[in-house]
Amino acid sequence: MLKITDLELLVGSVAHLAAINASFQPGTLTTILGRTGAGKTTLMRAIAGLIAPDRGQILLDGTGWTRLPPWKRPVAMVTQQFINYPHLNVRDNVAFPLVRAGVAKADAAARAEAALARVGLAAMVDRRPSALSGGQQQRVAIARALVKKAPVLLLDEPFVNLDYNLREAFRKDLVDLLAVETGTVVLYASTDPREALQMGDQIVLLADGRIVQSGSPRDVFANPASLTAASVVNDPPINPIPFHQNGVADFGALGQQAITLPSGAYTLGLRASDIRAGGPHQARVTLTEVTGSETLTHLSLNGLDLVMQEKSVVLRSPGDVVGVHLDLHKGLVFGADGQRAGV
Amino acid sequence: MAEIRLAKLAHSYGNGTNALKPLDMTWRDGGTYALLGPSGCGKSTMLNIISGLLKPSEGRVLFDGQDVTDKDTGARNIAQVFQVPVIYRSMTVGENLAFPLVCRRVPTPRIKARVEAIAERLGLSRHLNSRAVALTADQKQLISLGRGLVREDVSAVLLDEPLTVIDPQMKFELRKILKDINREFRLTMVLVTHDQNEALTFADTVVVMNHGEVIQAGTPQELFERPATTHVGTFIGSPAMNFLPAVREGDRVLVPGAGLSRTAPADLPTTDLTLAFRPEHAVAGGPLAGTVTRIWFEGADQVLALSVGDASLRIRAVAGAETVGAIVRFDVPQDCLRLYHQGRLVA
Amino acid sequence: MKTLYLALKYLAIALWSAFVVFPFLWALTTSFKSANGVTGGATWIPWVQYEPSLQGWQSLFGGVGGINVVKPFYNSLVVTLSASVISITLGTLAAYALSRFTFRFLWMRNSDITFFFISQRIMPPIVLAIPFFLMLRSLGLLDSLPGLILVYVALLMPIAVWVMVDFFNGVPRGLDEMAWMDGCNPIITFWRVILPNALPGLVVAGMFCIIFGWNDFFFAFTLTFTETQLLPVAIVSLNSSVTPWWSLSAAALVSIAPLVVLAFVVERFLSKGGLAGAVR
Repeated sequence: MLKITDLELLVGSVAHLAAINASFQPGTLTTILGRTGAGKTTLMRAIAGLIAPDRGQILLDGTGWTRLPPWKRPVAMVTQQFINYPHLNVRDNVAFPLVRAGVAKADAAARAEAALARVGLAAMVDRRPSALSGGQQQRVAIARALVKKAPVLLLDEPFVNLDYNLREAFRKDLVDLLAVETGTVVLYASTDPREALQMGDQIVLLADGRIVQSGSPRDVFANPASLTAASVVNDPPINPIPFHQNGVADFGALGQQAITLPSGAYTLGLRASDIRAGGPHQARVTLTEVTGSETLTHLSLNGLDLVMQEKSVVLRSPGDVVGVHLDLHKGLVFGADGQRAGV
Repeated sequence: MAEIRLAKLAHSYGNGTNALKPLDMTWRDGGTYALLGPSGCGKSTMLNIISGLLKPSEGRVLFDGQDVTDKDTGARNIAQVFQVPVIYRSMTVGENLAFPLVCRRVPTPRIKARVEAIAERLGLSRHLNSRAVALTADQKQLISLGRGLVREDVSAVLLDEPLTVIDPQMKFELRKILKDINREFRLTMVLVTHDQNEALTFADTVVVMNHGEVIQAGTPQELFERPATTHVGTFIGSPAMNFLPAVREGDRVLVPGAGLSRTAPADLPTTDLTLAFRPEHAVAGGPLAGTVTRIWFEGADQVLALSVGDASLRIRAVAGAETVGAIVRFDVPQDCLRLYHQGRLVA
Repeated sequence: MKTLYLALKYLAIALWSAFVVFPFLWALTTSFKSANGVTGGATWIPWVQYEPSLQGWQSLFGGVGGINVVKPFYNSLVVTLSASVISITLGTLAAYALSRFTFRFLWMRNSDITFFFISQRIMPPIVLAIPFFLMLRSLGLLDSLPGLILVYVALLMPIAVWVMVDFFNGVPRGLDEMAWMDGCNPIITFWRVILPNALPGLVVAGMFCIIFGWNDFFFAFTLTFTETQLLPVAIVSLNSSVTPWWSLSAAALVSIAPLVVLAFVVERFLSKGGLAGAVR
């Protein structure tokens, strides 16, 4: 078990990580979800020993890691950049950590070739990394990380620099590859909620260097603890709609909704999938985006900027007016402090 | 502002390979177009022919009916934006934008007015006196675009994977600006990309290319709902379209053991048939049943991999309590079921 | 049209080659001439019409009006190679440190320190001659091989540092970190990962050092008397009241021969792709 307690890391006087407390079990894949700059990479680099935290402990099965240099930590990492040893061919690249660990050359080469076969590169073992495509280079890096059988495997947005179509195939392959690594703690950093929800056995939401929530993907998605958590875990980000509670929830021109709450100002977090075309509210289209098989339509409605998600490809031009329906009763209520209210 | 016509265009490089197979195409004035395909599919060749960097081995390029095939890039009045922003490092943003006009000896007051108008439009007004190198990648890309737009005689804007180096969060803004500019200036815009999302988001008409050939040209909706080939169906949309080997039995085409079927057109061959549907088009409940083999939880909904008879397929469903091994009932509406023969759309 | 263009291109190349090769050709023919052949003047073509003589080449091994170049050649070889090896070794280590770790010395940061190294080469050599002379004298190393090696190390190492810092900066830092996580401590990381990827730099730095060391005349002249003459000094000493062009030419050819060999070796290394694709 990898355990992190009270981890804090300052750069100048800015906290890049603060009050990080978490434990990760072997055989589970934990996705660390957060926007760019949330501290995902910093956390992984601290675990790997590439940067020293100002406070706190990192322990693997009770052994303190905090003072170990990176070359003494049993950890493997795959980064966004495709990092391989340019002067070694693919086989020697993957065999390198084994040879360093004292494995006999022939044995290391055989294990490297087996690992490369698992990532589908059996035919490329004699090439230099520079002669491979970006996707293949990243497969080499993954093979090198897996071959070590390190108890901690860090994956820092490994597929973000790959083509859209490749990324999906890679994710599926990676989950299959990791399924047999039952003794490994796997951390996977991502900015994409969908990826994080799909892949993770556990999910940790990170914002501004702090853990805002953690749990099973289904739990975290269904019950985000705060508006921050809700906006991190939803793609597209959740639509914040302010309302006033006075007996009933008053959404102004959007109507009223019966919710039991103390009086005051609140924000309703409405998922993009809970806005549908075909309804009474006339919204103006500002832009449509197609992602995968879905269409995200950015709308302007009574001064509110909303995003509507539809499960097909629908063409709309900026300036078009669409009648929309908002499933307000499906929204999540957050108080003025941003915390979940009325649950 | 121009209509671009590619008449019987074809190109092969010296070694005899067909970089571009013969094609005929007209791009309307003020339209947005995307050339979509993997690297080496011929999309860059096509763009270079339009911009005049490459002379086609066959066919003509016409702008508003005028033959420009033999004209140089400079004489075609084209604005180009490349993958990596091209800026004059020693100049300020304003000087960068003014440069094409200065070179054409436009009077100074008119340059000033024009540069200010364009900078305003691109949201660069605040930076006019900053050094161009100091700006972020997306702003630099706007400068590249702006340098093309300052000329009032621009007939088309060619964008060669312009969002590759842009931070994901800034892509949205940049897309919005491109769309706005297209509407305001009524410019014909052509985007080259390998990213399906980018193509579908940007263009009214997406031209899907592979191996130097145009496979389908249509609206994003057409590509999604009626892919011309199984290749397009796999390339567009995520998860990919389900393609299931089918056989003909009498007047029906069916997937053996799966219960999926539709009527067969009269002159349909009996072999090499495929039935296909989008995972999004499956509806919950119905006559079909499958065993869940895998679940991809995506938040509001999930993708289920099902084994139905001998076939395996994927459907998108509202996130529920299904587990691997459970039986799920679903249906595919007849009007969403496509039929392919030898990989090409029949009905 | 295309043929004409090609013809013109080859003509231009041929002319330029002739222009470049001609001095060597002249030196070669002169080395086989006698006094008559040099001054007598041929009827038509001076570098063809003459009576060959081995006088010039014989004079390189002693004799009247000649000098034995074997010892100076050996001295030059020892001094150049030793100084280059020491400079590259120390310079590479210093450069890696400057490229990877942060230093502060008074107001100076890494880039200032790197510049400080190269700034010593900005001074005109004459400024350094007297201090070097005095230092070597007090060490009792004047007119000795160790003394010359010491001076050349001081002169060559800045070049090595300067070249190697640039190459190390070109090797991504992610590579160091990856090697650490693969179990290499910093020394093994340097030796197994960083150095192999900075190999082109090593070749470039080595070339610079060897060429400079081999060709230097000024310091070899000011810091030696008779005991440890280096080749350039020996060649110049051939020149007496009557210039023996034949001996000078032969000696000049001997002195450029090692560099020509070096050029061919490096060229082969380059064309074999020894430098290709080292760093992404």
